[in-house]
This record gives sequence, C-alpha cells and structure tokens, in this order.
Amino acid sequence: MPKQKLHPLPSAAFQILLSLAGEDLHGYGIMRQVAEQTGGRMRLGPGTLYSSLQTLLEEKLIAELDLRADEKLGNERRRYYRLTSAGRKVARSEAERLAGLLRVARNKKIWRGDYV
Amino acid sequence: MSEKLYRWLLRLYPSHFRHAYGDAALQLFRDRSRHERGFFPALRLWLDLLADLVVSVPRQYRRVQPALSGASALRSAAGTPSFYLLDNQPPRAGALLLGAVLSLAGAAASIPLSHLPIYRPFATPSILVPSAPGPAATGVRLDNAERRRVIHSVVANLKEHYVDPAVAREMQEGLLARDKAGDYQASEDGTAFAALLTRHLREVSHDLHLEVVYSRNMLPEISAGPSPERIAAYRNAMLARNCTFESVRILPHNIGYLKLNSFPEPSICGTIAKSAMDSLNRSDALIFDLRDNRGGDPAMVMLIAAYLFDHPEFMYRPGRTTPLCWTESPVPGNLLAHKPVYVLTSSRTCSAAEHFSYDLKMLKRATLVGERTAGATDVGVFHRLDDHFGIGIREFKSINPYSQPDWAVTGVQPDVKVPAADALVTAEKLAQTNVRK
Repeated sequence: MPKQKLHPLPSAAFQILLSLAGEDLHGYGIMRQVAEQTGGRMRLGPGTLYSSLQTLLEEKLIAELDLRADEKLGNERRRYYRLTSAGRKVARSEAERLAGLLRVARNKKIWRGDYV
Repeated sequence: MSEKLYRWLLRLYPSHFRHAYGDAALQLFRDRSRHERGFFPALRLWLDLLADLVVSVPRQYRRVQPALSGASALRSAAGTPSFYLLDNQPPRAGALLLGAVLSLAGAAASIPLSHLPIYRPFATPSILVPSAPGPAATGVRLDNAERRRVIHSVVANLKEHYVDPAVAREMQEGLLARDKAGDYQASEDGTAFAALLTRHLREVSHDLHLEVVYSRNMLPEISAGPSPERIAAYRNAMLARNCTFESVRILPHNIGYLKLNSFPEPSICGTIAKSAMDSLNRSDALIFDLRDNRGGDPAMVMLIAAYLFDHPEFMYRPGRTTPLCWTESPVPGNLLAHKPVYVLTSSRTCSAAEHFSYDLKMLKRATLVGERTAGATDVGVFHRLDDHFGIGIREFKSINPYSQPDWAVTGVQPDVKVPAADALVTAEKLAQTNVRK
C-alpha cells in the first residue's frame, strides 16, 4: 500500500487512532468509541471501519492482537487492535497539523477558541 | 433475516476483503443490531449500512494490488474465458445496482449452492473416480469375457503409448502368460482386478506411475473432453465455495495462513488465488494448510509456487518436461520470495497437493509439518479400456532430479512429523521462532 494513502490522514483513520489511544479495542468497541468521541456524528459502518483498519495495519500504525472474548458482549471471540508507537506519532502529528490550522483560524478571527 | 440480507450484501465487496474481514463485518452488524433495537434505531442502522456500502465498496475495488496490475495474462488451458479482471476493476454503478438486486433475489430464493458437486474436469486421472457422473453400473460381477477384454486393451495401450517399448513388451508378455495360466480367473471384483493388474505391471516395470483403475459408474467418454455443462457446473461450484480457499488470514506475529482444500483451475480461480496471495504479501512467514487438500490442477500449483521464488524455478513433476514446469517468478510486487514457508500435511493430502509439498521440500523452500501424505499416483495420460476400466500411462520420460522417490504410492514424508491435528500449532511455533531471529 503506498504511503500516500494516509497523507493527509483520512478523518475515519484519525478517529480510529484516537479511539485506540486509551485502550485496546475490538471492531465494535472502536465503532462505539468513535461515535462517543464525535458526539454521535461519526458512526463507522463495517465496510469503512475494516477498510480503514486494513490500511492502518498495512502501514503498521496499529497492530492486531489475539482473538479473545469481550465479557460484556458474550462468548464470541473478537480480534482486538492496539495503537503502535508509529500510530501514536502519526496521530500526534495530525493533531498538531489541526492545531496549526486552528491557530490560523483564530488569527483570522474566524474562530475564537481558547485552547490552541 | 436481516443478518442474512447483510451477509448477501457483503458479497458486493471484492473477495480479498471478504476473506479478511467478512466475518468481522458480520459480527459488527450483529452487535449493532443487538443494541440498536426499535424502529428508528433499526432504520438508522440500515441507512448507515447502505451509506457505508456506497462509500466503501468502490474504495475496496480501487485498492491497487501491485502483483495483479503488472502480471501477465493468465494461461487458459481449456480455452475458457479468463476472469482475470473481474475482481480488480472498479465496478460500474449499474453493476453495483445489479449486484444488490441479485443479492436480494438470491437471499429470497435461498439456493443451496453448497450442494453442487466439486470435481476436477481438467485433471486427467481424477475424472475417473466414482464421483464422475455417468450411468450407474448394474453391479454384475466380472466375467471371463470382460477380464479378457480389459487385458487385451491394456496390452494394446502399453504397446501404443508406453514410453519404453522394451519394458512395454515385457509387461505385455507377463500379463498374457498369467492370463493363460488362469491367474485372473478368480478376480470377480473390479477394484481387486484393477489392483492385481497394476501390481503385475509394476513388478515388471517398477513404474509407480502406471495404474489400472476401476470405476463402478460408467466412465465418461474422455476423448471429447468435459462437456460445457460440466465446466459450467464446476465453475459455479468453485465460485460458490471461494475456489476452496477456505481461510486466508494473518495469524499473530504477522504469520500469513492459507488453507487451501484443492488446487482449482486457474482460468476460473486465478483471480481468487492471486487475491489470496496478495493479501498475505506483507507476512513475515507463510503457512500453507494442505491437510484437507485432495489435489487438482498442476497449473494452480505453479501459479501459487511462483510467489515463493524470485527467479523461475523448476518444479519436478513425473511425466512432464515442458516449460510449464518452470514457475513464472518473479511475480511483480511480490514480497514473499524469501519468507519462511511451512506446509501442513496429513494422510489425506493428495495428488497436486503432494506435487506442491514434494517440490518445495526438495528445493528446501518449505518445511513440511504433519503426517506422511497419501501417496497418490500421478499417472500422466489416461486411456479408457472399456466402460469401467482405464489405465494411466506416462508418455514422457522425465528424470527426477532428486535422490528421494517422488510421492507416487509412498507419499511425501514431512520434515517435522506430528499428528495432523497438531500441525498448525507446531508450524506456528516454528514460524514465530524463525521470524524472531
């Protein structure tokens, strides 16, 4: 997979990296976490989710873990995913890129947020 | 019902995606449907899914697969049209719509595709086995006239086709002398009679690739080749079963795993085979699980083996000395040529799967893990003797470059001998150790 695939980082891929920043999650866990962190605006469907996971795996930004059951969801064994250090670095640089954009937006008085 | 519908919609995705993530996508669908109950949540779920299909299906088809984009055209041994581009071109919007409609129609009809027969119309000897369709035999015991007819037909075929005329003559004389002495008069059972003739022929020729076979069902006329109906049935059965690529996935430690239960015809299954190999392209080691592989087409053996070398490599096969014995390596974009390879074998591993295992072992390209293989006989060209008997004769003399006998009758010995049930765990451990080095 060519590197350009993730430059710029697609929004879904960035959200997935962020969702994995706190803990290892399976597919459905990622979907829920992304929905939560976007206030329900982004609900990843299976095709988008697994396409993105596939690309992130190929770029070694996330890693697959062994299958294991999620007690809250029953006995079915699920594949878990973990953020790699490369993935964390990419997520951080994407966040910095967005922060830079926000700085510009604030300077242009388009946005009045305080945090950046 | 809704899960069944979504399962059908998943068929819109290209096969490489379905193999890798089909089950997980279905699991995600189940999880969401379990938690999003009621009319509006269910409606939102389906709208999400449809939007997801519209966005992600074309994206999956657009994914460039380097090995495919630069590869040469497929060989089409039987002259059947190639399916080469089917999975690797972005589908037209109309095709997507048609696919969706067909999926819904298929779900409604619930056609039991999985009950279609699997057979190998292009492999010469295997067409004879009792699974081949044809009028059923009446079950009568062999009489003197049929035995004599078979013996004389064997003699005539050896005379005409056997690679070494002097040995052929010796075998003919032996058979006729035994017949005259009444050695075959007690043989009333077809299978036993065929085995007895095979034994007597091999005693003289020491040729393990010579075999007389018996089929309880009437043998089809093979001179005409497989009928279009049989080719169509074979194609449908293969495509319905993902060409017997039962599992293609990445195991922990980035070990690629491919469970293949036959070596299907490349003009029908080449695309699926290439997708499977591409999806494993970035593995650090490869495991081919051939424990349930009953053989098939040598051309598929060559197609898959091509990924394991960075230069054309000779794959010995009895009775064949043509350029078809050289792999078409290197495969463009392929990263697997130097990765460790493990082949899982069992006592059921048969024929073309033995060809694959034997050559990779002899070339020191793979470590075989499991049990000794079945020891099927690659008999070369098949000749019909009568309605129920046939003989396989090698018509070309090929010299085995290796000191060990090939797989005929004796099978291929594994490098690491373990019960077939433990072979995967053993190979995984070996691969993990190898990858860590």
